[in-house]
Amino acid sequence: MSSSTRKFRFDTLLIHGGTEAGPAGATTVPIVQSSSFSHATAEELEDIFRGRRMGQVYTRINNPTTESLERRLTLLEGGIATIATASGMAAITTAVLTIARSGDEILSSSSVFGGTFSLFRDTLANYGIAARFVDPTDLAAVRGGVTDKTRLIFVETIGNPKMDVPDIGEIAAIARQAGVPLLVDATVTTPCLARGKELGADIVLHSTSKFINGTGSAIGGAIIDLGSFNWDSAKFPHFQPFVTKYRNFAFSARARKLIHKDFGACAAPMNSFLLTEGVETLALRMERHCDNALQLARFLAVHPKVQWVNYPGLPDSPYHGVASRQFGGRFGGILTFGLADKPASFRVINALTLAKNLANIGDAKTLVIHPASTICADYGPEEKGLMGVTEEMVRVSVGIEAIDDIIEDFAEALEQA
Amino acid sequence: MNLTVNGKPATIDNQETLDITTLLTVLKVETPEYVTVELNGEILDRENFDATSVKNGDSIEFLYFMGGGN
Repeated sequence: MSSSTRKFRFDTLLIHGGTEAGPAGATTVPIVQSSSFSHATAEELEDIFRGRRMGQVYTRINNPTTESLERRLTLLEGGIATIATASGMAAITTAVLTIARSGDEILSSSSVFGGTFSLFRDTLANYGIAARFVDPTDLAAVRGGVTDKTRLIFVETIGNPKMDVPDIGEIAAIARQAGVPLLVDATVTTPCLARGKELGADIVLHSTSKFINGTGSAIGGAIIDLGSFNWDSAKFPHFQPFVTKYRNFAFSARARKLIHKDFGACAAPMNSFLLTEGVETLALRMERHCDNALQLARFLAVHPKVQWVNYPGLPDSPYHGVASRQFGGRFGGILTFGLADKPASFRVINALTLAKNLANIGDAKTLVIHPASTICADYGPEEKGLMGVTEEMVRVSVGIEAIDDIIEDFAEALEQA
Repeated sequence: MNLTVNGKPATIDNQETLDITTLLTVLKVETPEYVTVELNGEILDRENFDATSVKNGDSIEFLYFMGGGN
Protein backbone atom coordinates (compact mmCIF):
# COMPACT_ATOMS: atom_id res chain seq x y z
CA MET A 1 0.00 0.00 0.00
CA SER A 2 1.36 3.39 -0.96
CA SER A 3 1.55 6.27 1.45
CA SER A 4 1.88 8.73 -1.45
CA THR A 5 -1.15 10.78 -0.71
CA ARG A 6 -1.81 14.45 -0.18
CA LYS A 7 -4.62 14.02 2.30
CA PHE A 8 -2.35 13.62 5.33
CA ARG A 9 -1.65 16.55 7.60
CA PHE A 10 1.78 18.15 7.52
CA ASP A 11 3.26 16.32 10.52
CA THR A 12 2.17 12.99 9.05
CA LEU A 13 3.59 13.83 5.64
CA LEU A 14 6.95 14.41 7.33
CA ILE A 15 6.97 10.73 8.26
CA HIS A 16 4.99 9.01 5.51
CA GLY A 17 4.84 11.40 2.54
CA GLY A 18 6.01 10.01 -0.76
CA THR A 19 7.26 6.69 0.53
CA GLU A 20 6.53 3.24 -0.79
CA ALA A 21 6.72 0.06 1.23
CA GLY A 22 10.29 -1.24 1.34
CA PRO A 23 11.40 -4.83 0.68
CA ALA A 24 10.53 -7.43 3.34
CA GLY A 25 8.33 -4.93 5.13
CA ALA A 26 11.16 -2.50 5.77
CA THR A 27 9.85 0.72 7.32
CA THR A 28 12.80 2.90 6.40
CA VAL A 29 13.66 4.00 2.89
CA PRO A 30 15.98 1.42 1.30
CA ILE A 31 19.47 2.67 0.47
CA VAL A 32 19.88 1.77 -3.19
CA GLN A 33 23.66 2.00 -3.33
CA SER A 34 23.96 1.36 -7.05
CA SER A 35 25.53 3.61 -9.64
CA SER A 36 23.41 2.29 -12.50
CA PHE A 37 20.34 0.19 -13.28
CA SER A 38 19.91 -2.61 -15.80
CA HIS A 39 16.88 -3.17 -18.00
CA ALA A 40 15.58 -6.33 -19.66
CA THR A 41 15.40 -4.97 -23.18
CA ALA A 42 16.96 -2.29 -25.32
CA GLU A 43 13.44 -1.02 -26.06
CA GLU A 44 12.75 -0.45 -22.37
CA LEU A 45 15.87 1.62 -21.85
CA GLU A 46 15.14 3.56 -25.03
CA ASP A 47 11.67 4.39 -23.69
CA ILE A 48 13.17 5.65 -20.43
CA PHE A 49 15.68 7.84 -22.24
CA ARG A 50 12.95 9.19 -24.49
CA GLY A 51 10.83 9.95 -21.42
CA ARG A 52 8.08 7.53 -22.41
CA ARG A 53 8.27 5.67 -19.14
CA MET A 54 9.66 6.12 -15.67
CA GLY A 55 12.74 4.19 -14.78
CA GLN A 56 16.14 4.39 -13.22
CA VAL A 57 19.19 4.94 -15.40
CA TYR A 58 22.20 6.18 -13.48
CA THR A 59 22.47 7.70 -10.02
CA ARG A 60 23.72 11.02 -11.38
CA ILE A 61 20.32 11.25 -13.13
CA ASN A 62 18.03 9.59 -10.60
CA ASN A 63 18.04 7.00 -7.84
CA PRO A 64 15.19 5.36 -5.90
CA THR A 65 16.43 6.50 -2.48
CA THR A 66 16.88 10.06 -3.68
CA GLU A 67 13.51 10.05 -5.46
CA SER A 68 11.85 9.09 -2.20
CA LEU A 69 13.36 12.14 -0.50
CA GLU A 70 12.36 14.29 -3.49
CA ARG A 71 8.73 13.13 -3.34
CA ARG A 72 8.55 13.91 0.36
CA LEU A 73 10.02 17.40 0.02
CA THR A 74 7.64 18.12 -2.87
CA LEU A 75 4.66 17.28 -0.67
CA LEU A 76 5.98 19.25 2.30
CA GLU A 77 6.47 22.45 0.28
CA GLY A 78 3.28 22.06 -1.76
CA GLY A 79 5.29 21.84 -4.98
CA ILE A 80 5.11 19.80 -8.17
CA ALA A 81 8.65 18.34 -8.29
CA THR A 82 11.97 18.36 -6.47
CA ILE A 83 15.59 17.81 -7.42
CA ALA A 84 17.83 16.70 -4.57
CA THR A 85 21.42 17.82 -5.02
CA ALA A 86 24.84 17.18 -3.50
CA SER A 87 24.71 20.31 -1.34
CA GLY A 88 22.76 23.48 -0.74
CA MET A 89 25.22 25.41 -2.91
CA ALA A 90 24.68 22.84 -5.69
CA ALA A 91 20.93 23.45 -5.42
CA ILE A 92 21.36 27.23 -5.76
CA THR A 93 23.86 26.91 -8.61
CA THR A 94 21.66 24.46 -10.50
CA ALA A 95 18.50 26.54 -10.04
CA VAL A 96 20.13 29.82 -11.04
CA LEU A 97 21.92 28.37 -14.09
CA THR A 98 18.68 26.77 -15.22
CA ILE A 99 17.13 30.23 -15.41
CA ALA A 100 19.88 32.76 -16.12
CA ARG A 101 22.25 32.85 -19.07
CA SER A 102 25.22 34.96 -20.04
CA GLY A 103 24.10 38.59 -20.33
CA ASP A 104 21.34 38.18 -17.76
CA GLU A 105 21.13 39.69 -14.29
CA ILE A 106 19.99 38.26 -11.00
CA LEU A 107 18.62 40.44 -8.23
CA SER A 108 19.64 39.13 -4.85
CA SER A 109 19.22 40.02 -1.24
CA SER A 110 22.46 41.54 0.05
CA SER A 111 22.19 39.59 3.31
CA VAL A 112 22.49 36.10 1.83
CA PHE A 113 24.80 33.44 3.22
CA GLY A 114 28.48 34.15 2.38
CA GLY A 115 28.79 31.18 0.03
CA THR A 116 25.78 32.36 -1.95
CA PHE A 117 27.13 35.92 -2.03
CA SER A 118 30.42 34.63 -3.41
CA LEU A 119 28.68 32.48 -6.04
CA PHE A 120 26.57 35.40 -7.23
CA ARG A 121 29.16 38.19 -7.06
CA ASP A 122 32.31 36.38 -8.17
CA THR A 123 31.78 32.97 -9.74
CA LEU A 124 28.72 33.64 -11.88
CA ALA A 125 30.20 36.99 -12.98
CA ASN A 126 32.95 35.00 -14.69
CA TYR A 127 30.27 33.39 -16.84
CA GLY A 128 28.49 36.60 -17.79
CA ILE A 129 25.71 36.56 -15.18
CA ALA A 130 25.74 39.77 -13.17
CA ALA A 131 24.28 40.09 -9.68
CA ARG A 132 22.70 43.17 -8.19
CA PHE A 133 22.42 43.18 -4.41
CA VAL A 134 19.73 45.06 -2.53
CA ASP A 135 18.48 45.22 1.05
CA PRO A 136 15.56 42.77 0.90
CA THR A 137 13.69 44.60 3.65
CA ASP A 138 13.69 47.80 1.57
CA LEU A 139 10.93 47.13 -0.94
CA ALA A 140 11.65 50.31 -2.89
CA ALA A 141 15.25 49.11 -3.31
CA VAL A 142 14.05 45.70 -4.48
CA ARG A 143 11.68 47.33 -6.96
CA GLY A 144 14.41 49.70 -8.11
CA GLY A 145 16.87 46.84 -8.58
CA VAL A 146 14.81 45.21 -11.30
CA THR A 147 16.06 45.92 -14.83
CA ASP A 148 15.06 44.58 -18.21
CA LYS A 149 17.91 42.09 -17.84
CA THR A 150 16.72 40.69 -14.49
CA ARG A 151 15.76 37.04 -14.77
CA LEU A 152 15.16 36.10 -11.14
CA ILE A 153 14.91 37.51 -7.61
CA PHE A 154 16.62 35.61 -4.80
CA VAL A 155 16.05 35.99 -1.04
CA GLU A 156 16.50 34.00 2.15
CA THR A 157 13.56 33.63 4.52
CA ILE A 158 15.82 34.85 7.33
CA GLY A 159 19.17 36.34 6.32
CA ASN A 160 22.12 34.38 7.63
CA PRO A 161 23.73 35.77 9.75
CA LYS A 162 22.12 39.22 9.48
CA MET A 163 18.83 37.78 10.80
CA ASP A 164 16.79 40.19 8.68
CA VAL A 165 13.38 39.02 7.54
CA PRO A 166 12.08 40.22 4.18
CA ASP A 167 8.39 40.42 3.45
CA ILE A 168 8.31 37.60 0.95
CA GLY A 169 4.73 38.17 -0.15
CA GLU A 170 5.60 41.76 -1.12
CA ILE A 171 8.74 40.65 -2.96
CA ALA A 172 6.71 37.97 -4.74
CA ALA A 173 4.40 40.73 -5.97
CA ILE A 174 7.41 42.67 -7.30
CA ALA A 175 8.67 39.52 -9.03
CA ARG A 176 5.28 38.89 -10.60
CA GLN A 177 5.10 42.44 -11.85
CA ALA A 178 8.59 42.09 -13.33
CA GLY A 179 7.68 38.77 -14.94
CA VAL A 180 10.50 36.89 -13.22
CA PRO A 181 10.47 34.01 -10.73
CA LEU A 182 11.11 34.43 -7.00
CA LEU A 183 13.64 31.96 -5.59
CA VAL A 184 13.52 31.59 -1.81
CA ASP A 185 16.20 29.89 0.24
CA ALA A 186 14.18 28.52 3.16
CA THR A 187 17.00 26.58 4.80
CA VAL A 188 16.67 28.24 8.20
CA THR A 189 12.88 28.14 8.41
CA THR A 190 12.17 24.78 6.73
CA PRO A 191 8.63 23.97 5.59
CA CYS A 192 7.72 23.63 9.29
CA LEU A 193 7.76 27.42 9.76
CA ALA A 194 6.61 28.37 6.28
CA ARG A 195 5.69 26.31 3.23
CA GLY A 196 7.06 27.71 0.00
CA LYS A 197 3.69 27.69 -1.70
CA GLU A 198 2.11 29.82 1.01
CA LEU A 199 5.07 32.20 1.11
CA GLY A 200 4.55 33.11 -2.55
CA ALA A 201 7.83 31.66 -3.81
CA ASP A 202 8.10 30.10 -7.26
CA ILE A 203 11.10 27.94 -6.38
CA VAL A 204 12.25 26.96 -2.89
CA LEU A 205 15.82 26.01 -2.11
CA HIS A 206 17.22 24.21 0.88
CA SER A 207 20.54 23.26 2.25
CA THR A 208 19.15 20.00 3.58
CA SER A 209 22.43 19.55 5.47
CA LYS A 210 21.02 21.86 8.14
CA PHE A 211 17.72 21.47 9.99
CA ILE A 212 16.30 18.87 7.59
CA ASN A 213 19.18 16.52 8.33
CA GLY A 214 19.28 17.71 11.91
CA THR A 215 22.27 15.77 13.15
CA GLY A 216 25.15 17.11 11.09
CA SER A 217 25.59 13.74 9.41
CA ALA A 218 25.09 14.50 5.71
CA ILE A 219 25.47 17.25 3.13
CA GLY A 220 22.62 17.84 0.70
CA GLY A 221 20.45 20.35 -1.08
CA ALA A 222 17.06 20.55 -2.72
CA ILE A 223 15.29 22.54 -5.41
CA ILE A 224 11.51 22.47 -5.09
CA ASP A 225 9.54 23.64 -8.12
CA LEU A 226 6.21 25.04 -6.96
CA GLY A 227 4.84 25.11 -10.51
CA SER A 228 3.58 28.66 -10.05
CA PHE A 229 5.68 30.52 -12.61
CA ASN A 230 4.69 30.81 -16.27
CA TRP A 231 7.86 30.14 -18.25
CA ASP A 232 6.08 30.77 -21.54
CA SER A 233 7.56 34.25 -21.75
CA ALA A 234 9.73 36.30 -24.10
CA LYS A 235 12.18 36.72 -21.20
CA PHE A 236 12.85 32.99 -21.24
CA PRO A 237 13.18 31.85 -24.87
CA HIS A 238 15.49 29.05 -23.73
CA PHE A 239 12.53 27.52 -21.88
CA GLN A 240 10.36 27.28 -24.99
CA PRO A 241 11.21 23.66 -25.91
CA PHE A 242 10.49 22.64 -22.32
CA VAL A 243 7.26 24.64 -22.14
CA THR A 244 6.11 23.02 -25.36
CA LYS A 245 6.91 19.50 -24.22
CA TYR A 246 6.47 19.57 -20.44
CA ARG A 247 4.23 22.59 -19.78
CA ASN A 248 4.01 23.11 -16.02
CA PHE A 249 7.19 21.08 -15.50
CA ALA A 250 9.26 23.31 -17.79
CA PHE A 251 11.62 24.46 -15.01
CA SER A 252 12.08 20.99 -13.53
CA ALA A 253 12.61 19.48 -16.97
CA ARG A 254 15.20 22.05 -18.02
CA ALA A 255 16.96 21.78 -14.66
CA ARG A 256 16.98 17.99 -14.60
CA LYS A 257 17.70 17.34 -18.24
CA LEU A 258 20.38 19.98 -18.69
CA ILE A 259 22.04 21.68 -15.73
CA HIS A 260 21.64 18.97 -13.07
CA LYS A 261 22.57 16.22 -15.49
CA ASP A 262 25.50 18.09 -17.03
CA PHE A 263 27.04 19.57 -13.89
CA GLY A 264 26.58 16.30 -12.05
CA ALA A 265 26.09 17.62 -8.50
CA CYS A 266 23.82 14.71 -7.64
CA ALA A 267 22.76 13.51 -4.20
CA ALA A 268 24.45 10.38 -2.86
CA PRO A 269 21.95 7.62 -1.97
CA MET A 270 23.36 7.25 1.54
CA ASN A 271 22.92 10.97 2.14
CA SER A 272 19.38 10.85 0.76
CA PHE A 273 18.63 8.12 3.28
CA LEU A 274 20.06 10.15 6.18
CA LEU A 275 18.18 13.24 5.06
CA THR A 276 14.91 11.32 4.79
CA GLU A 277 15.45 10.02 8.32
CA GLY A 278 15.97 13.61 9.43
CA VAL A 279 12.76 14.84 7.83
CA GLU A 280 10.71 12.50 10.01
CA THR A 281 11.58 14.36 13.23
CA LEU A 282 11.76 17.84 11.72
CA ALA A 283 8.58 19.21 13.28
CA LEU A 284 9.53 18.18 16.81
CA ARG A 285 13.06 19.45 16.42
CA MET A 286 12.04 22.80 14.93
CA GLU A 287 9.64 23.35 17.80
CA ARG A 288 12.45 22.77 20.29
CA HIS A 289 15.00 24.79 18.26
CA CYS A 290 12.60 27.74 18.21
CA ASP A 291 11.68 27.46 21.90
CA ASN A 292 15.33 27.18 22.97
CA ALA A 293 16.45 30.03 20.72
CA LEU A 294 13.79 32.32 22.15
CA GLN A 295 14.77 31.47 25.71
CA LEU A 296 18.47 31.94 25.02
CA ALA A 297 17.73 35.24 23.23
CA ARG A 298 15.79 36.48 26.27
CA PHE A 299 18.64 35.46 28.59
CA LEU A 300 21.27 37.18 26.46
CA ALA A 301 19.14 40.30 25.96
CA VAL A 302 19.33 41.18 29.66
CA HIS A 303 22.90 40.02 30.28
CA PRO A 304 25.12 42.98 31.27
CA LYS A 305 28.04 41.92 29.08
CA VAL A 306 25.93 41.44 25.94
CA GLN A 307 25.72 44.61 23.84
CA TRP A 308 22.90 43.51 21.60
CA VAL A 309 20.92 40.45 20.51
CA ASN A 310 19.47 39.96 17.04
CA TYR A 311 16.65 37.44 16.99
CA PRO A 312 13.36 38.06 15.19
CA GLY A 313 11.51 36.46 18.11
CA LEU A 314 12.36 39.38 20.39
CA PRO A 315 9.67 42.06 20.32
CA ASP A 316 12.25 44.83 19.81
CA SER A 317 13.58 43.22 16.62
CA PRO A 318 12.64 45.35 13.61
CA TYR A 319 11.64 42.12 11.90
CA HIS A 320 9.42 40.78 14.68
CA GLY A 321 6.16 41.75 12.98
CA VAL A 322 6.85 40.33 9.55
CA ALA A 323 8.43 37.20 11.04
CA SER A 324 5.43 36.63 13.31
CA ARG A 325 3.10 36.81 10.35
CA GLN A 326 5.21 34.76 7.95
CA PHE A 327 6.39 32.02 10.26
CA GLY A 328 3.33 31.33 12.38
CA GLY A 329 4.64 32.84 15.61
CA ARG A 330 7.95 30.95 15.52
CA PHE A 331 11.29 32.50 14.69
CA GLY A 332 13.85 29.82 13.93
CA GLY A 333 16.82 28.39 15.76
CA ILE A 334 19.51 30.96 14.95
CA LEU A 335 20.43 34.19 16.69
CA THR A 336 23.38 36.53 16.82
CA PHE A 337 24.65 38.64 19.67
CA GLY A 338 27.38 41.19 20.19
CA LEU A 339 30.01 41.55 22.88
CA ALA A 340 32.38 44.46 23.52
CA ASP A 341 34.77 43.55 20.72
CA LYS A 342 36.34 40.68 18.78
CA PRO A 343 38.65 39.54 21.64
CA ALA A 344 35.67 39.34 23.98
CA SER A 345 33.80 37.24 21.38
CA PHE A 346 36.77 34.89 21.10
CA ARG A 347 37.06 34.56 24.88
CA VAL A 348 33.40 33.62 25.19
CA ILE A 349 33.56 31.11 22.31
CA ASN A 350 36.67 29.57 23.85
CA ALA A 351 34.98 29.27 27.24
CA LEU A 352 31.87 27.48 25.97
CA THR A 353 31.95 23.78 26.81
CA LEU A 354 28.61 22.48 25.51
CA ALA A 355 28.29 24.60 22.37
CA LYS A 356 30.58 23.54 19.52
CA ASN A 357 32.66 26.10 17.63
CA LEU A 358 32.12 25.13 14.01
CA ALA A 359 30.86 26.26 10.61
CA ASN A 360 27.37 24.83 10.42
CA ILE A 361 23.81 25.49 11.53
CA GLY A 362 20.73 23.37 12.13
CA ASP A 363 22.35 20.58 14.11
CA ALA A 364 20.65 19.08 17.17
CA LYS A 365 23.75 20.32 18.99
CA THR A 366 24.22 23.99 19.87
CA LEU A 367 26.80 25.55 17.56
CA VAL A 368 28.61 28.88 17.64
CA ILE A 369 30.91 30.73 15.29
CA HIS A 370 32.56 34.11 14.92
CA PRO A 371 31.40 34.95 11.36
CA ALA A 372 33.72 37.89 10.69
CA SER A 373 36.87 35.78 11.05
CA THR A 374 35.54 32.57 9.48
CA ILE A 375 32.64 32.21 7.06
CA CYS A 376 32.84 35.90 6.08
CA ALA A 377 36.60 36.35 6.46
CA ASP A 378 37.14 36.86 2.73
CA TYR A 379 34.96 39.96 2.62
CA GLY A 380 35.95 43.56 3.22
CA PRO A 381 34.15 46.04 5.46
CA GLU A 382 31.66 47.05 2.76
CA GLU A 383 30.51 43.51 2.03
CA LYS A 384 30.47 42.64 5.73
CA GLY A 385 28.28 45.69 6.25
CA LEU A 386 25.85 44.45 3.58
CA MET A 387 25.79 41.03 5.19
CA GLY A 388 25.31 42.51 8.66
CA VAL A 389 28.54 40.98 9.92
CA THR A 390 30.42 42.84 12.64
CA GLU A 391 33.66 42.06 14.48
CA GLU A 392 31.98 41.64 17.86
CA MET A 393 29.25 39.30 16.54
CA VAL A 394 28.77 35.70 17.61
CA ARG A 395 26.30 33.51 15.74
CA VAL A 396 24.51 30.76 17.63
CA SER A 397 22.60 27.88 16.10
CA VAL A 398 20.62 26.88 19.15
CA GLY A 399 20.36 23.13 19.58
CA ILE A 400 17.72 20.95 21.15
CA GLU A 401 19.56 20.14 24.38
CA ALA A 402 17.95 20.99 27.72
CA ILE A 403 17.64 24.78 27.65
CA ASP A 404 18.94 25.10 31.22
CA ASP A 405 22.21 23.44 30.14
CA ILE A 406 22.50 25.76 27.15
CA ILE A 407 21.89 28.85 29.26
CA GLU A 408 24.31 27.67 31.96
CA ASP A 409 26.98 27.16 29.29
CA PHE A 410 26.56 30.72 28.01
CA ALA A 411 26.26 32.16 31.52
CA GLU A 412 29.59 30.63 32.54
CA ALA A 413 31.31 31.57 29.28
CA LEU A 414 30.11 35.16 29.47
CA GLU A 415 32.04 35.59 32.68
CA GLN A 416 35.12 35.61 30.41
CA ALA A 417 33.76 38.38 28.17
CA MET B 1 -12.15 1.61 -27.51
CA ASN B 2 -8.85 1.23 -29.32
CA LEU B 3 -6.07 3.69 -28.65
CA THR B 4 -2.46 4.10 -29.63
CA VAL B 5 -0.42 4.52 -26.45
CA ASN B 6 3.21 5.49 -26.82
CA GLY B 7 3.11 4.20 -30.38
CA LYS B 8 1.61 0.81 -29.51
CA PRO B 9 -2.01 -0.37 -29.85
CA ALA B 10 -4.02 -0.59 -26.62
CA THR B 11 -7.62 -1.64 -26.08
CA ILE B 12 -9.80 -0.53 -23.18
CA ASP B 13 -12.83 -2.78 -22.86
CA ASN B 14 -16.35 -1.54 -22.23
CA GLN B 15 -15.44 2.15 -22.46
CA GLU B 16 -16.31 4.52 -25.28
CA THR B 17 -14.62 7.48 -23.67
CA LEU B 18 -12.51 8.27 -20.57
CA ASP B 19 -11.17 11.44 -19.07
CA ILE B 20 -7.39 11.70 -18.82
CA THR B 21 -7.24 11.40 -15.02
CA THR B 22 -9.16 8.13 -15.14
CA LEU B 23 -7.16 6.93 -18.14
CA LEU B 24 -3.93 7.32 -16.11
CA THR B 25 -5.42 5.01 -13.47
CA VAL B 26 -6.86 2.48 -15.95
CA LEU B 27 -3.56 2.22 -17.81
CA LYS B 28 -1.65 2.08 -14.49
CA VAL B 29 0.61 4.89 -15.61
CA GLU B 30 3.61 5.15 -13.27
CA THR B 31 3.99 8.23 -11.05
CA PRO B 32 1.07 10.06 -12.67
CA GLU B 33 1.98 13.23 -10.75
CA TYR B 34 5.03 13.66 -13.01
CA VAL B 35 3.60 12.68 -16.38
CA THR B 36 2.93 14.98 -19.30
CA VAL B 37 0.19 13.82 -21.66
CA GLU B 38 0.10 14.37 -25.39
CA LEU B 39 -3.24 13.70 -27.07
CA ASN B 40 -3.21 13.45 -30.87
CA GLY B 41 -0.03 15.52 -31.03
CA GLU B 42 -1.16 18.23 -28.60
CA ILE B 43 0.34 18.56 -25.10
CA LEU B 44 -2.38 18.94 -22.47
CA ASP B 45 -2.27 21.27 -19.48
CA ARG B 46 -2.60 19.30 -16.25
CA GLU B 47 -5.56 21.36 -15.12
CA ASN B 48 -7.45 20.07 -18.17
CA PHE B 49 -6.91 16.37 -17.40
CA ASP B 50 -10.38 15.98 -15.85
CA ALA B 51 -12.12 17.88 -18.62
CA THR B 52 -10.36 16.18 -21.55
CA SER B 53 -11.50 12.79 -22.80
CA VAL B 54 -10.09 10.18 -25.12
CA LYS B 55 -12.16 8.26 -27.65
CA ASN B 56 -11.70 5.41 -30.07
CA GLY B 57 -8.81 5.97 -32.46
CA ASP B 58 -7.00 8.56 -30.35
CA SER B 59 -3.23 8.56 -29.99
CA ILE B 60 -1.76 9.16 -26.52
CA GLU B 61 1.85 9.76 -25.55
CA PHE B 62 3.07 9.85 -21.98
CA LEU B 63 6.21 11.87 -21.35
CA TYR B 64 8.41 12.05 -18.27
CA PHE B 65 11.06 14.66 -17.60
CA MET B 66 12.79 12.47 -15.01
CA GLY B 67 14.80 10.27 -17.38
CA GLY B 68 18.21 10.71 -18.91
CA GLY B 69 17.65 11.90 -22.43
CA ASN B 70 16.52 15.13 -24.00
